[in-house]
This record gives sequence, C-alpha cells and structure tokens, in this order.
Amino acid sequence: MSVQTLLISPPSAQRDTVGQHGAANQYSAADQHSTVGRPGTAGSEVVGIGFAPAHHGELLQGMFLDEAGVPHRALVTLPQPALGTRATFRPSYTHGGVLGPPELIKVRRAAILTLGQLPSYRSPAKGGQIEITSTVPRGIGMGSSTSDVTATIRAVADSHGHPLTKEEVARLAVLAECASDSVMIDDQVVLFAQREAAVLETFGQQLPPILVLGCDTAPEEKVDTLRLTPAPYDSSEIARFGVLRAALRRAVAKSDVPLLGRVATASARINQRYLPKPQLELLLQLGEQHGGCGIQVAHSGTVAGLIFDAQGEHVAERIERCAEALNRAGLPVTQVIDPSGRGGLPPARASA
Amino acid sequence: MTLRTVSEEATHAYQLPRLIRLTPNLYAASFVLMKMIPARYILRRAMADGLLEPETVIVETTSGTFGLALAMQGVHLDRRVVLVSDPVIDERLYRRLIDLGAEVDRVPAEAGRIAGGFQTARLNRLREIQAAYPSTFCPEQYTNPDNPRSYAVVAELLLESLGQVDCVVGPVGSGGSMCGTVGNLRSVLPDCQAIGVDTHGSVLFGHADAKRELRGLGMSVLPANLDHSIFDGVHWCAPSPAYQATRQLHRRHALFSGPSGGAAYLAARWYAAANPNALTVVMLPDEGYRYQDTVYDDAWLRAAGHLDNALPDEPVEVDDPRRPQGSWTSYRWGRRSAAEVLGSDQLLSGVG
Repeated sequence: MSVQTLLISPPSAQRDTVGQHGAANQYSAADQHSTVGRPGTAGSEVVGIGFAPAHHGELLQGMFLDEAGVPHRALVTLPQPALGTRATFRPSYTHGGVLGPPELIKVRRAAILTLGQLPSYRSPAKGGQIEITSTVPRGIGMGSSTSDVTATIRAVADSHGHPLTKEEVARLAVLAECASDSVMIDDQVVLFAQREAAVLETFGQQLPPILVLGCDTAPEEKVDTLRLTPAPYDSSEIARFGVLRAALRRAVAKSDVPLLGRVATASARINQRYLPKPQLELLLQLGEQHGGCGIQVAHSGTVAGLIFDAQGEHVAERIERCAEALNRAGLPVTQVIDPSGRGGLPPARASA
Repeated sequence: MTLRTVSEEATHAYQLPRLIRLTPNLYAASFVLMKMIPARYILRRAMADGLLEPETVIVETTSGTFGLALAMQGVHLDRRVVLVSDPVIDERLYRRLIDLGAEVDRVPAEAGRIAGGFQTARLNRLREIQAAYPSTFCPEQYTNPDNPRSYAVVAELLLESLGQVDCVVGPVGSGGSMCGTVGNLRSVLPDCQAIGVDTHGSVLFGHADAKRELRGLGMSVLPANLDHSIFDGVHWCAPSPAYQATRQLHRRHALFSGPSGGAAYLAARWYAAANPNALTVVMLPDEGYRYQDTVYDDAWLRAAGHLDNALPDEPVEVDDPRRPQGSWTSYRWGRRSAAEVLGSDQLLSGVG
C-alpha cells in the first residue's frame, strides 16, 4: 500500500507559478476549508473520490486490422479487481502550483486534462490536491499507472458532480499517459486500442470462469512503460493476431476456458520477440503439469500468470501445488487473480 | 448484437467458405473460388502500398482459378490483367476471363515438351511480358509469402465457428491454402493435423514429374510457398477415385465441388472415420460447373474408364513417397522438410 499526495493546477496557473513562488506555498491549510459532501454546488469545495482496479497484464496484445485493413495496436486486459487505487481530489479556487513526486506526473496530467474537460459552471476549481492510495505494485505490469490515472479522472469528475462515461475516462487516460489499459471499462470484455482509447470490439459481458496464479518472472527488474517502444509486429504476426481475436471471440461467447488459455498462450509466445519472459517455457510446463489451461503475461511488465478453469476439479489444490512448484523454481508467487471479482480463492501462500 | 453486413465488392462476398457439417466429425469448408483469398489480399495490399499505378498491368502465370480471381479483382481496381496460360485452358474459364476484361496469353502446345513442361514455359513467357510493359505487378502466387498469409481469414473462421479443429485435409498446389490455414490455426491449436492431398505425377511430395489429368492440385515444379514441414500426412489420389469421390460428395451431401475437392473429401472421409473423436475439416476449393461435361457426366466417366474400379475403402500406405503404388496412397510425412524425407538430391529447383 502506498499513499502519495501531490498538488495540481490547470495549465494557465501552472505557467504562472511553477518555479516562481515555490509550489508548496500555493496551498495553505486555510485554503482547504472544504465542505466534504455531495452534490457539489458551484463555489463550494467538494472532495471527489474515484476508484479504479488494477490488472494483471493482458490476455491478448498485438496489432489488429480493422475493416479497411488499417492496423491498430490493441489489447485485452486481465482485470485484477482485488487490487486498485483510490484517488481523492480536493479542489482549490486560487492559483495553484505543482508539487509532487515526479513519478506521478501522469496523475497530474490526468487531473489537469479532466479539469479542462469538465464544464466550468459546475465548479470554478482552478486546481487542487490529489491523494493517491494504491495497493497496486509498481513497475511490474499490473497497471499501477492506468489505475492511478483512472481513479484520478474519476475523482476530479466526482468533485464536480459530473460523472464521465467510460469512453470519456478512457480518452482522458490515454491523453494523460499515451497508452492505457482498459481498466476503466470494467463491465465488458473489450479489445481496446490502448493508444487511441477506442474499443475495437466488445467480446461480451464477462470472461470465462478462470483463476490465474500470478507470479513475478523477474523480481529484480522493473519495466519503465514510458521507455518501452511499441513492438514492430510484422505481417505474419498481424495475421496471427486476427486469428487469436477470432478465437477469443468464441472463447468469451462460449465461456470456453481452454480456448481462452490457448489464445493467451499464443499471444505471449508471439510477444516473446519483443519483451521476452525467459521462463516462458518453464511456466508452460508447470501449468501443464498442474492441469492449467495456458499462461498470460504482462506485455509491458514482468508479471505472468497460469490460467486455471475456476470450475475445474480440485482447482484450489492444483493451484496450491502449482504455487509451491513456482516458488521452488524461483518464480515468486504474488497472488491468485479472480477477474470476476467474486473472490475466488484465498491468496496462495506467497513467498514474495 | 452484430448486424449482418453487405459486401462492398463481389470479390469480398466470394472469398470466405461456407462451413457445412457432413458427418458428426467431418466439416466441409466449401469455397466458390478459394483463390479469391490470396488474389484479393495480394492486390489490395499492392494497391495500398502504391504498387498499382493506373497504367500498371497485373501479370501472372495461371491456367486456373487464381487467374479468374485476379481478373475479378482487376475489375474492382480498374487495372489491366494479363494472364499467361497453358494452351489447354478450359474454354468456359477462358470466356469468363475475357468477359472480365483480362487478356489471356496461351503458350504454344509444343512448349509442353521442354523440361518443366508448361509451367516453365509459362514462367518464361511471363518474363517476356514483364519486359514489354513499362509497369507491371506480378502477384507471384508460388513464391509470395502473402499467399499463405492471406489464409489467416480461413483460420479465423474455423476457430470462431468450431473452436476446436483436430485435422485439416485439403488439396495442395501452390501450398498457400494448406500452409496458410494450418500454420495460422496452429498458433492456437498446435496439435492440429494437416493432410495434404496430391496426385500422381506431381513433384510436390516426391513423385517424378509426369502428365497429370486431375486438375486443381499437384505441380510440375516445386513452389517456394509449399512448406513441407506443415504436413503430418500426404495422400496421392489418381483421377478415377477423385472423380468418383467428387460424385459421392454431390450425391450424399448435395455439395457441388470440383474434383480437387473430391480428392480431398476422399482422404478426409477416411481420416474422420478412422478418428471418430477428431474434428476434421476438408477444404473444397471450387465448384463443379467447369466439370459438368466430364466429372459430372456418367457417359464421359465410363468412356474414359474412370468407373472401371470401385472406390477403395482406404489408401495404400507407402513407405517411400517417391513410388506410386496404386490409385490412392498415403504416407506419414511427419512434419518433416522435403530434404529430410526425400534427400536434398531429390529436390527440384523452386519456382521463380
């Protein structure tokens, strides 16, 4: 769990104040005479709260052709609703400076963009203070950044009493961080163009019933998603992604766990060329030994998961034994993910 | 809810097969014109890449349906199409090509006597034509990797409609359809079996080049697009069993296929019966119209001796793919390269 606070202001205020007066001075305690509550009327300060879940990498990520043959980078997120971010936004009506740990630059950008987006009659807020409380591990591909950003956008919108649609949240998130996972679209399985904030296809309402045994394939490493260059997929890979997309369409429609597992495994294999997981074959082997249906990986991180049929026989025991085998193999088990959010299994005994 | 849509072009409507269940574990992928898939894909890609200027002439060597598909797409693209063909091109096909605005350049009959037969003579003539025009584009179906790649759409359809496919059986000519379909299917279903159907006197899987009566499969020269390591098994089917099987397919299942599809049906029916738990798909590349005066005419079949022998129940399994032993033989290819199976000295030089 981490708690981080930073102050933000819209672009104009930022220009006026950054580096001149010292950002920390811009918000005095007296400035925060907040009346916490709902709904907000213009002029009164209302603290906004937003939540967003984490994810555990992707089930599918690649490049997909649309009807006109135009390629789009897109992904299908594996949600991890048991982890997430809570953002609190305290608006300010005076000029504000910018303050905060530099790694939350995307959060600040998201808040500023959201403020610019919301109708000003709702609130004259010029800036404010964002507090991030997150249970999402950072730098391993679990969407900590998108979770922070999404929670922030929702918190700012909440303080204005102006709920945004999922599509609007997605658009702002992508504007803030260039590429976002689709954690904001939490009630559908979608193929999401992570750089365009566009839903290319809605596969259905929910994933087949799976439990995913998560581990960290490189516990010493962190992946800086800002530094990752987009994978230069070739024509054959793009053709294969189309095949995987069609298979996933069926897997979701028919609630077919083995097919879902094959799609995720195939996606992980194709992407080995770009962000290789050295233990991919070991993971596949361990999964097979314990009755798993395939593996999934974070395409911009180090986490990977072994997919199990949540309704399979003795699934809890098999996952536990598999977790022990993973830990013995030096791949620290982190969690068991139930993307449906219904709880699934108690977390496996983690050594990490 | 997805609404069914209209096709913008006839070639789009023509390309995908209908999937039809023949027996509990045998499905037909029945095409009107299978070659539409690579023809359309290659030409549309060339158009998008700026390779088809208004004056560019599309040239190709073909005596069959690939030329028809090119001529059809040439209509949509408003480009001139010149096809180099055998002297023996089917008269109905010829008239149809001319009506589509294509020019058909037939190599002289005596060209059949040179080494490599008409296929080599056609390639030589093609080079002459390419030299005569300022701008030409040749799809090169035998060597262009876009040919197999284009068949990803068939793999998509099979996966979306069936989910599980245990075996694909289909005739082999350029190698595009079988290698492309199975290669792409295997990214999701790595255990999917592939059985290629060839004919006597074709060099594709080791026979010595000889005159072939059965059309739509087999080659006199080895095409680069044939990846031998895709195939688990190979069948060789002589004209008589192919024609009889074509008629049975029509009588039993009301499917009006050309004889290359009939040969594939013979092998697929045997495989599906021998492996009742294996979901088997047979590729039927075209319809029977061009064969109404021959394969679909009992008097013609009888006069040519094609009804003298009853259809065998099963193939003769051979241990040397180079030696024809009967009208229907099979060989366990085992996903090996041609050099592994035949020895490198047996390999003829590739096309192109």
